[in-house]
Amino acid sequence: MAEDRLPLKGIRVADFTWFGAGPIFTQILAHYGAQVIRVESQTRLDGLRIAMPMPKDKPPTVNMSGYFNNFNANKLSVTINMGTEKGRELALRLIAKSDIVAENYTPGTLEKWGLGYERILQVKPDIIMVREPMQGLTGPHRDFAGFGAVITPLSGLSYLSGFPHRPPVGLGTNYTDYVVNPGHAVIATLAALRHRNRTGKGQLIEVAQLESSVNVVSVAILDYTANGRVQERQGNRLPYACPHGAYRCQGEDRWVAIAIFNDQQWEGFCRAVGEEWTQEERFATFLGRKAHEDELDRLIESWTSQREAGEVMELLQAHGVPAGVVQSAADVLDCDPHLKARGYYRYLDHPEAGRTAYDGSGFRLHSTPGGPTAPAPLLGQHTEYVCKEVLGLTDDEIADLMAEGVLQ
Amino acid sequence: MVAEEGPLSGVRVLDLAGPPGAYCGKLLADLGADVIKVEPPGGDAARRIPPFFHDDPHPEKSLYFFAFNTSKRSITLDITKADGRALFRRLAAKADVIIETFPPGYMDGLGLGYEALKVENPGLIYCSITGFGLWGPRAHWQASDLIAVAMSGMMYLAGFPEDPPNRPYGDQAYYCASIQSCTGILIALLHRDRTGEGQLVEVSMQEALSMNQETAMQFWDMRKELRTRTGEGRKLPTGEWFRVPGLGTYQCADGYVYLMVGIPGFGAPLATLIDWMAEEGMAEGLASPEWKEVFSQLDLRLIAQLLQGTDVSMATQWVPKFQYVDPIIERFIRTKTKNVLYEEGQRRGLLIAPVNTPKDVVENPQLNARSFFQEIEHPHLGTTIRYPGPPYRLGLTPARIWRRPPLIGEHNLQIYRDELGLSSEQVGALAAAGVI
Repeated sequence: MAEDRLPLKGIRVADFTWFGAGPIFTQILAHYGAQVIRVESQTRLDGLRIAMPMPKDKPPTVNMSGYFNNFNANKLSVTINMGTEKGRELALRLIAKSDIVAENYTPGTLEKWGLGYERILQVKPDIIMVREPMQGLTGPHRDFAGFGAVITPLSGLSYLSGFPHRPPVGLGTNYTDYVVNPGHAVIATLAALRHRNRTGKGQLIEVAQLESSVNVVSVAILDYTANGRVQERQGNRLPYACPHGAYRCQGEDRWVAIAIFNDQQWEGFCRAVGEEWTQEERFATFLGRKAHEDELDRLIESWTSQREAGEVMELLQAHGVPAGVVQSAADVLDCDPHLKARGYYRYLDHPEAGRTAYDGSGFRLHSTPGGPTAPAPLLGQHTEYVCKEVLGLTDDEIADLMAEGVLQ
Repeated sequence: MVAEEGPLSGVRVLDLAGPPGAYCGKLLADLGADVIKVEPPGGDAARRIPPFFHDDPHPEKSLYFFAFNTSKRSITLDITKADGRALFRRLAAKADVIIETFPPGYMDGLGLGYEALKVENPGLIYCSITGFGLWGPRAHWQASDLIAVAMSGMMYLAGFPEDPPNRPYGDQAYYCASIQSCTGILIALLHRDRTGEGQLVEVSMQEALSMNQETAMQFWDMRKELRTRTGEGRKLPTGEWFRVPGLGTYQCADGYVYLMVGIPGFGAPLATLIDWMAEEGMAEGLASPEWKEVFSQLDLRLIAQLLQGTDVSMATQWVPKFQYVDPIIERFIRTKTKNVLYEEGQRRGLLIAPVNTPKDVVENPQLNARSFFQEIEHPHLGTTIRYPGPPYRLGLTPARIWRRPPLIGEHNLQIYRDELGLSSEQVGALAAAGVI
């Protein structure tokens, strides 16, 4: 695939995002050919640049975080001191040469730099400006501080996930930062890009992370608004499937997930397991299985716990039963033969972090395949390149700006 | 001036998707595309999934179906019958996008796969969503939401170490696969607009979810350290449990709150919380200069090292302090409601969030001040239902719920007769034959 055939070739993004949800959104554009220029600074460092993990055997730098690098492949990095008048002028010049400007700072930060939407429109009338505030650009909680970690509880996801006898601790990650919020932002941006291509008109897009995240609990919302019911945590169970859960297997912390939705799958399960209890009358119907779900789960676990998770998965799948190992990162990266055959994870050489794995594209375009091809940029790696090739500055001008601390 | 149509107006989508892809069609439809839900006679299987409106298990009353099918039109069509296939080919010839979630090869077997359809419609964008993708050794394996989240690596990180790993609520595999699909479709659409060339968009739920592992994959790749689920706190190699005070889920007067207090760079420090406790006479000595000195030592690196739990000597120095401090914070939190902790916490710069119930979300003052929820009329139910609004706001070409979810085959006549040009007699004959 020649890179110049990538669908977003020719699109330039002035990327003022940081942390998770913003950079992942712009990375998807970069995966498919857009030139994404991260505007960073030494003084206002993206927190992920100093976050773990980093390689074990090297002293830490701002360039080797696996957290940061996995979200910033294929991008360029310029370092501009936005605390200076000239720095803000440069940023505006970059925006004037861009199709899209993206940011997820606390509302008001860009305005403080003189880079509000109205000002940007003056230099680039058809700009698509994408803002990803936590709670929105308006409203009583507009200025509330937050990160992905607080969106999971705010959206209802924490309350609804997990076992009912446990406190609602969430999903162990800042879940909505990684697919949900960046995904929604990129969808809105691409739709706006299509509109601009057809009409010549850009627009302002606002992706409030709370509003975006509430969309993925919509069924519980409707159950409340239509029925007045507050759904509670149900562990791994579903009202319309049984058995449905994760069952302990041989070895340390090994589990297999099994999800049975109909009689055909149940019969396959019974054939695969071949134990006497599978033939008991009380398990013959869905309602029977549901009525005896605790007992059924215990029996299943007494069977799985004597076997390896992979073995159970293979056996059940061979009988047409939805089953899968609860895979660890080691499983998905090193062991899963399917992900390996499909080449989902990509290894890229980085000057400081070494050869490391990156997530591939979350979807595959068969004629124009995209994904990570260049490692995440070093902080300020492309400052000169961008100043010269994009902004048209001379070597002398660049040297002066460096000396003045405008470029860092 | 805001246009009265979405940014995708003029894009026609045939949506044959089951639950894994239904949200993709909704995203496109709420953005203004003309999304036609192609249901088997009798209706989409998702119409039988609970919860139901007033708990009445009627195929026109599934709230699960409602959630994923706003702004769409509906036709019924049996694509396993010869007449059904012929009709589908006619529809596909005029479509921009097809979304389906059948097992790999199923549509090819009916002569309706991408290779067959693109002959007549080379600009077609054909999106397949499956558990494991269209090819590879496990492409034909069975999957559901639970299996996909398990196999992706994300489930391994959720829950308490002594419990089974936790499934995230609400078919997150389907949401994520749909979001990834919609992104792929839109990029393909931009490519087609430029070149006239359509293509196949392939989504594996397992791959679509992988990013949700946060840093687990990189921790293994770079350090051969395995991130596991940690529940409420951390366990030392000695088996002792601890929590870094201010970090985690705490019980309050009317539920739970999540505290993210004390990580440098993330909101106000722990001392700010202690000051608040002292103002209310609940600091129990923690406001002393000695304790403040202790708290001031908790920098990012130290917290990270403690959370990794590998440095036992450091842990033995700190954990007893944590075990003394944390219950004092717990006692304070327990005297206050979610909203007081949230609003007053934010006023003080403390990152404290309520663990909202669905009711709390619907009543959330921020969401309501911004008119996030949309009241949608359901004349057949004799009522309106409040839906979450779209996940984004486009200033010029709005996304919104343009119409309520369709009834089964509601648009058969409109689409087959008025748009495809069949006669009323032909439509009647197809219905009699069980095709529509």
